[in-house]
Amino acid sequence: MQRRVAVLLLLFASFSLVYSSVAYYSLSRPPTQEFMAWGVFSPSGTLSNYFSGAGANVTMGETLNWHFAVSNQMGSIQYAQVVYRLGNSASANPNATVPGTVPQLGNSSIFIPNAQTAIVNFTWVITSRNTVGGMVFITMTINGQQVSPSVGAVAGQRFRFFFELWTYDLASNSFQYGYKGQNSRVGVPLQVWFNSL
Amino acid sequence: MRFRHRALLGILFLLIFSFSVSVEKSSGQSAQVDDAQSKLVQAFALVQQADSQGASQAQISLLASNLNLALYYEENATQLFAKNLTASNIYASKSVSLSNAASFQALSVASDARTEVLFGQFAAYSIAIVAGFGSALLVLEVHRISDLVRKMKLRRMRLD
Repeated sequence: MQRRVAVLLLLFASFSLVYSSVAYYSLSRPPTQEFMAWGVFSPSGTLSNYFSGAGANVTMGETLNWHFAVSNQMGSIQYAQVVYRLGNSASANPNATVPGTVPQLGNSSIFIPNAQTAIVNFTWVITSRNTVGGMVFITMTINGQQVSPSVGAVAGQRFRFFFELWTYDLASNSFQYGYKGQNSRVGVPLQVWFNSL
Repeated sequence: MRFRHRALLGILFLLIFSFSVSVEKSSGQSAQVDDAQSKLVQAFALVQQADSQGASQAQISLLASNLNLALYYEENATQLFAKNLTASNIYASKSVSLSNAASFQALSVASDARTEVLFGQFAAYSIAIVAGFGSALLVLEVHRISDLVRKMKLRRMRLD
């Protein structure tokens, strides 16, 4: 009798261990690689044909309706911010660790739930051009806000927009460049070249 | 000499007073927008916490749209601050009340999610233990079941 009880207990312990492992596995969240992806889209919803005319030429008064699609795969809701800057061919590029150094023109913020893609509009128009010693300085309206960037381009050629994704970091209580990667923050800058005519 | 000292002291006093008043005024004016911004961040922290604690996708999406509306009001308040202080304050207070509502909802959603997760864990491990006991009993008593089946077959054969 005692032997039967001992065997029952042993079997009970073994089976419980196996079934509990199955329960633990089914209750655990599968491991995922956390990331954020984004792109700047033209009015036709493509990652090309940003300009209506030939090449990358933008005339004064021509309104361009672009939008950003920001996808959140970070495992929880994110407070994201798109920062935009205007540079020229000589400006330092933002990279995976360091944001751009040219002054910021503006930003747009949005809350994005996990596993969802948010759309952020970017409507801009060149309202005026000012030429100083061969350098063209432009004034723009971006999302209804007038901005006068301090950066100019020779003959208005090879301007470029830098777009950066920043996310809110609760530990530092501020927006930080890029998103939180496994070991460090990951910056994913975008840029679009254009000429002002 | 004494009069000069007093006059200098008076001017200094006046300067300090006017400076403190102007600082108080400017910080008082921006207080509504600052409050809206801090309440928005506070609500975001609570929604993110609810999300990590297992709140459903639908609940988080709803909270996110409320946060986005609060953000829209807060941005309007910031933009209008220099032009129309009354309108700015109205938008700021709208943002604050929406953020507060989102915070409250997030706390409730997080509490529900925690309870649900705990209940799910309790149910899963209880089933595992009961199934473990049942399986152990089945292995130990399987010979009795085959005996029973054999007896039933014999009885049927006798009846035939």
